[in-house]
Amino acid sequence: MVYDQKVGCTRRSHNDSSKTTEATYCPVGQAHVICMVSDFFYPNMGGVESHIYQLSQCLIGRGHKVIIVTHAYEDRKGIRYLTNGLKVYYLPLTVMYNQSTATTLLHSLPLLRNIFVRERVNIVHSHSSFSAMAHDALFHAKTMGLHTVFTDHSLFGFADVSSVLTNKLLTVSLCDTNHIICVSYTSKENTVLRAALNPEIVSVIPNAVDPTDFTPDPQKIRTNKITVVVVSRLVYRKGIDLLGGIIPEMCHRYPDLHFLVGGEGPKRIILEEVRERYQLHDRVRLLGALEHRQVRNVLVEGDIFLNTSLTEAFCMAIVEAASCGLQVVSTRVGGIPEVLPEDFIILCEPSVKSLCDGLEKAIDQLKSGNLPSPEAIHNTVQSFYTWKNVAERTEKVYDRVSNETVLPMNERLERLISHCGVVTGSIFALFVVATFLFLMFLRWNTPDSLIDIAVDATGPKGAWSHKYSCKKSRKTMANAKSGSSLK
Amino acid sequence: MSPVLQSSNPGAYTDVTWGQDTTSSPDPVENHTPWKKVLYERQPFPDNYVDKSFLEELRKNIYVRRYSYWAVVFESAVVIHQLCSVCSFSVIWWYMDQDLLSPQKLCGFGLAFTLLGYLIFDAVDKGAGRKESGRTRWRDLKSSLVFVAFTYGFSPVLKTLTESISTDTIYAMSVLMLIGHLVFFDYGANAAVVSNTLSINMAIFASVCLASRLPRSLHAFTMVTFAIQIFALWPSLQRKLRAYTPRTYTCVTFIFAVFSVSGLLSISSVGALLFFLLLISVTFLCPYFLIRLQLFKDNIHGPWDEAEIKEDLSRFLD
Repeated sequence: MVYDQKVGCTRRSHNDSSKTTEATYCPVGQAHVICMVSDFFYPNMGGVESHIYQLSQCLIGRGHKVIIVTHAYEDRKGIRYLTNGLKVYYLPLTVMYNQSTATTLLHSLPLLRNIFVRERVNIVHSHSSFSAMAHDALFHAKTMGLHTVFTDHSLFGFADVSSVLTNKLLTVSLCDTNHIICVSYTSKENTVLRAALNPEIVSVIPNAVDPTDFTPDPQKIRTNKITVVVVSRLVYRKGIDLLGGIIPEMCHRYPDLHFLVGGEGPKRIILEEVRERYQLHDRVRLLGALEHRQVRNVLVEGDIFLNTSLTEAFCMAIVEAASCGLQVVSTRVGGIPEVLPEDFIILCEPSVKSLCDGLEKAIDQLKSGNLPSPEAIHNTVQSFYTWKNVAERTEKVYDRVSNETVLPMNERLERLISHCGVVTGSIFALFVVATFLFLMFLRWNTPDSLIDIAVDATGPKGAWSHKYSCKKSRKTMANAKSGSSLK
Repeated sequence: MSPVLQSSNPGAYTDVTWGQDTTSSPDPVENHTPWKKVLYERQPFPDNYVDKSFLEELRKNIYVRRYSYWAVVFESAVVIHQLCSVCSFSVIWWYMDQDLLSPQKLCGFGLAFTLLGYLIFDAVDKGAGRKESGRTRWRDLKSSLVFVAFTYGFSPVLKTLTESISTDTIYAMSVLMLIGHLVFFDYGANAAVVSNTLSINMAIFASVCLASRLPRSLHAFTMVTFAIQIFALWPSLQRKLRAYTPRTYTCVTFIFAVFSVSGLLSISSVGALLFFLLLISVTFLCPYFLIRLQLFKDNIHGPWDEAEIKEDLSRFLD
């Protein structure tokens, strides 16, 4: 069935029947058709994945149409529908490294063009600078004259050869992107430097956590036993080597101290060795990979949350832990100092000594008993970051972007050459021309008018959607995350 | 609710102007509340607000080392030594190949120089290194005897080992191996490519290849022994000389370079000239460029850098 739909004028109406406050709150503005693109989406697990999902749900709740495009995960291919008619395209593209697809800047054009046309997309929102597909989509969207937004979720250094190369590619990818979103101010500074951007087209919109998922355990009775919880992937960047030094040091100082480590990764061997070497089998528990819904239950078993990351743009884990009412001890790296106020977090230098001192301080506070109750902490923290707020702020970016003009071909070429250096610029300008010719060919081969327009999962004019809203969708989120785990 | 985004200037795409001039946009509230670099508070600023403190924590070139020209020239002597070693090794091989130098003579000179070097090796630090490692002279003698005996015994095998391989392949392989030796040699740089074992092995392999093209097995034996002397023993003596008597070391480098260049001159004047220019450029030109290019260094550091673990964490697992 072909359903012709006018984009950008009347789409807000279908939520009027909804009784939730979010839907009636909708400020005046246009409804957008947004295509989220990233290599990272469920069933893969991580911060980017949940960010895309939650943001999309809230945007749908606010009357926009959102689709997600990612690559196929094993047998998960084709089109899937998630809660609230969130449509996900799992495209058959080859995965090259670390769940990121290979890119030639050309081969994905036919597929993406088809999706953009049939879904009547007007804003392409790419996520994560590690995702080749996200950059491809930006590139094609610009060729097709669509508005583009990019969210950067990670930090990157400037020191080695690999970062010099990736930063150059980022410069190319972002030099004509309409707007960029970063998750913290540190991340903004980093991205602005890496891609040589005008800081005014970079917005800071933090991540959020679902406070209903992370609540303290009211049944918990405080005993003498103190448990330190660590929930993270066990990799170098998360500072697991430091943890391997902290565990024996702290266990030596406090005989009633226990460690609970959730997560899996190549550095697990270090923790196992430490446990073996110091005979701490009864005091250090390694839980292995955790599913997302188990995280809360692990967190509430502890009193102190320890984060030893060496680099972090935002760090959801510490917000989740604070939301569960835990004392947080963390390294002072990247955007972490921006995330929680000083009463909730003890910041340390990334060294065993400093982190041990921090833990000691936390234990002293805990023993003295003059800490606010976990419920009090939860109530304060839950007001900090909400997806509703994130969606509103992202919407403003969309509103701004849709009023901007997309650079026409000639200006785009000029910008590439003037902005990215003559050599790199010229090479990519060549790619731009090639993609443009390819697009011309595709348009000649299958004109836009012959491509069927997709029916929304919400039905014509949103007739099938009724009382769903941002809030309700969370209950069913577990379905979307099936097979997810902290690896 | 967060306020609207800053009014987009028409030239939102203006080129990189980050720095002070972008902060001119008017504050939404007349500077009542200063902007804070925190995410947990809803601040009355637009999301794309650029504060004066933007990039305040940016540091540039904090790990830059200041080099002094002559110090770098002195350090370049290590490279010179290695280049000269390879050069003299090839020259000696050529002489042997042409039968202009008898193996007995080379053996005798080699033995004399090795003994001399052995004495100097201990004399230079007055036996401190020997005490530290606890190595006795008897052990030295034993290992050198074992080595000589084995090489001598196997030299007929070495001689015929690569007979079936074409001479061109042998030459190409030797050149590659000697270049490899130069690349992987430990010049004192803290890099991943440095591997002393690999470097020595490559040189010995080159010597075995070349030795097989010599007339008799005694030649082959001499050649391999000479390779050990020049590629394994000589650099360790150099290291000691450099640490204890830098002046002598500079003199030795100079004499060695003169010897190698004149040796090459007796074979090919063009080669000698090119080699001489190479040495000059490594000693004087490269340090100059190194210092010049420091001016263009633009290394950015800030809070986004991955933290380095500075302590030694292996102590927890010992």
